[in-house]
Amino acid sequence: MRAIKKMDISSLLELLSRQGTVYVPVREEDGLVSFSPWSPGAEIAWDAGNSLVPPKQLLFPQTETIYRYRVDGLNVSLDELALDDIAPPQVLVGIRPCDVKSLEVLDAVFLTAGYVDTFYQARRNRTLVVAQACTKTQPTCFCDSMGVSPVEALGADIVLYDLGEEMGVVVQTEKGAQALAGAERLGQEKEVPLPKAPECRLSANVDGLAERLKGHFYDPVWDELYRKCLGCGICTYLCPTCHCFDIDRENRGQNGWEYRAWDSCMYSQYTLMAGGHNPRPTKKERVRNRFLHKLQYIPERYGILGCVGCGRCLAKCPVNMDITRIITRLQEVAAGE
Amino acid sequence: MAPEKDAQNPLVPTVGRIIKIIDETPDVKTFHVTTDHGKPFTPMPGQLAMLSLPAVGEGMFSVTWQGPEHLEFAIKKVGVLTEALHEAEEGQMVGVRGPYGNGFPIEMMKGKDLLFIGGGIGLAPVRSLINYCAEHRDEFGHMWIIYGARSPADLCFKEELFKNWPQIPNSRVDITVDKGDENWTGNEGFVPAFLEQLNPPPEGKVTITCGPPIMIKFVLQSLEKMNYKPEQIVTTLEMRMKCGIGKCGRCNLGSKYVCLDGPVFTLAELNQLPGEY
Repeated sequence: MRAIKKMDISSLLELLSRQGTVYVPVREEDGLVSFSPWSPGAEIAWDAGNSLVPPKQLLFPQTETIYRYRVDGLNVSLDELALDDIAPPQVLVGIRPCDVKSLEVLDAVFLTAGYVDTFYQARRNRTLVVAQACTKTQPTCFCDSMGVSPVEALGADIVLYDLGEEMGVVVQTEKGAQALAGAERLGQEKEVPLPKAPECRLSANVDGLAERLKGHFYDPVWDELYRKCLGCGICTYLCPTCHCFDIDRENRGQNGWEYRAWDSCMYSQYTLMAGGHNPRPTKKERVRNRFLHKLQYIPERYGILGCVGCGRCLAKCPVNMDITRIITRLQEVAAGE
Repeated sequence: MAPEKDAQNPLVPTVGRIIKIIDETPDVKTFHVTTDHGKPFTPMPGQLAMLSLPAVGEGMFSVTWQGPEHLEFAIKKVGVLTEALHEAEEGQMVGVRGPYGNGFPIEMMKGKDLLFIGGGIGLAPVRSLINYCAEHRDEFGHMWIIYGARSPADLCFKEELFKNWPQIPNSRVDITVDKGDENWTGNEGFVPAFLEQLNPPPEGKVTITCGPPIMIKFVLQSLEKMNYKPEQIVTTLEMRMKCGIGKCGRCNLGSKYVCLDGPVFTLAELNQLPGEY
């Protein structure tokens, strides 16, 4: 591990900025933490835990143009966007292990199973991931129940460890090593044991859950679980693995652009068809789909759990829907209790 | 790393043009679409394509048939996009991307007798299969087409129904309408009852059914009563779709996506999936 004095972190970020725009967690005036472009002197919220909006927005933006068009009478012309323009190189610094894990889920969705999403792929290929291990947890964290260690970030190119006066730097990939070429002058090599994983206060048992949920689609438990949900969709907007999107368009005279934007399975219009038929007409079907999507459908389709235990959905839910308690209830039901 | 600049973005359509519009019924028109480079792609029967009117919208439609140089879409007027398409004139440029989905299980149908059951615009996807089987006549057994619509005016593809399909060797076509008019001499009644009355035996058959959800529901009940097994029953589903490539999330039935793993399923397959369609 290379240990760099915290006062020299700017030099490290300076070095990383050769790779592209460096994003760091920043505490905004309203106290919310988000990933923002770094500039020398910027105050980094190293101790803030998770950002409010997950870093997925830098790989899969909330809104992005797919193509531009011009309509001229019966004629139409399309303009595709150059991937170089929409996906400039970037370095995401300070991503927590749960969010690093979420990139595995997004990779599975956008890069496998039939088609490659070229926008996501372009951004992903041009992104260097510099994770920050967690030395303490937030009250809503449960990543260790979801198979994520708070002090490991296996998919990251580089991992940072808070060592008190110093920041430990561990390189995990070739890409990370290349980005840190020249870092030898910063800090010194040290034998430091990895910090002990902090404990999460919440927990949920997902052992065998995906398999056990089969056959419980019509279980009466769903009549009880959906009731307090308001259908506001905040859980889906803040979830680091939610990937659903809408495609729509904006017109300005003869010109316009087709764009995609995050969408939410919690909204009634999400599956409403033009003829009026809606396969998921009430909140019950929508809540059931959301939880089964995370806990059964994504595991079945991609072989990976759809929840990483970041805790954002339960932290921000206005009516305290808590996925860990729902998992516990589903385990009881699956066990026939 | 892949050469990204050359990567084809699957969400960007090819620009094509509507070269012909046929009035099928008061609310169904068939659109022939081609591009400057000929047919946009060659789908298999039952496959889908995204058709868009830039500035208006994009929607998933089954490709009802194709020629050497064009694709055909039979589209019912039900919403913003389809109303705009019905207002369009020949020469209108459109976006088209695809083909999507699995299509009908042709291999499984080979050598079998085929029973086609359609209702209303639900004949659109089935038509691609009927015409395919007629073109590859030796590969399939007897072809029996049972079709119904609300009224005689609502019958789609009249030329094929009354002229071309009855002439397919070793075939039979039976048509019903919910309510006839003064010139109608054919059967009156709903498709499921008509089906039971005709009572085609299940032995050696594969049946392909598509229509409004309520018709499918009762047709499936009738077929069960007539001892058809779930493995013999093939249907094609409709869902709201945005991407067509299994990413945008909304057309899932459990862990399957209708745009990728469907839209064609056997009843045996559907019985294994959540009934949210």
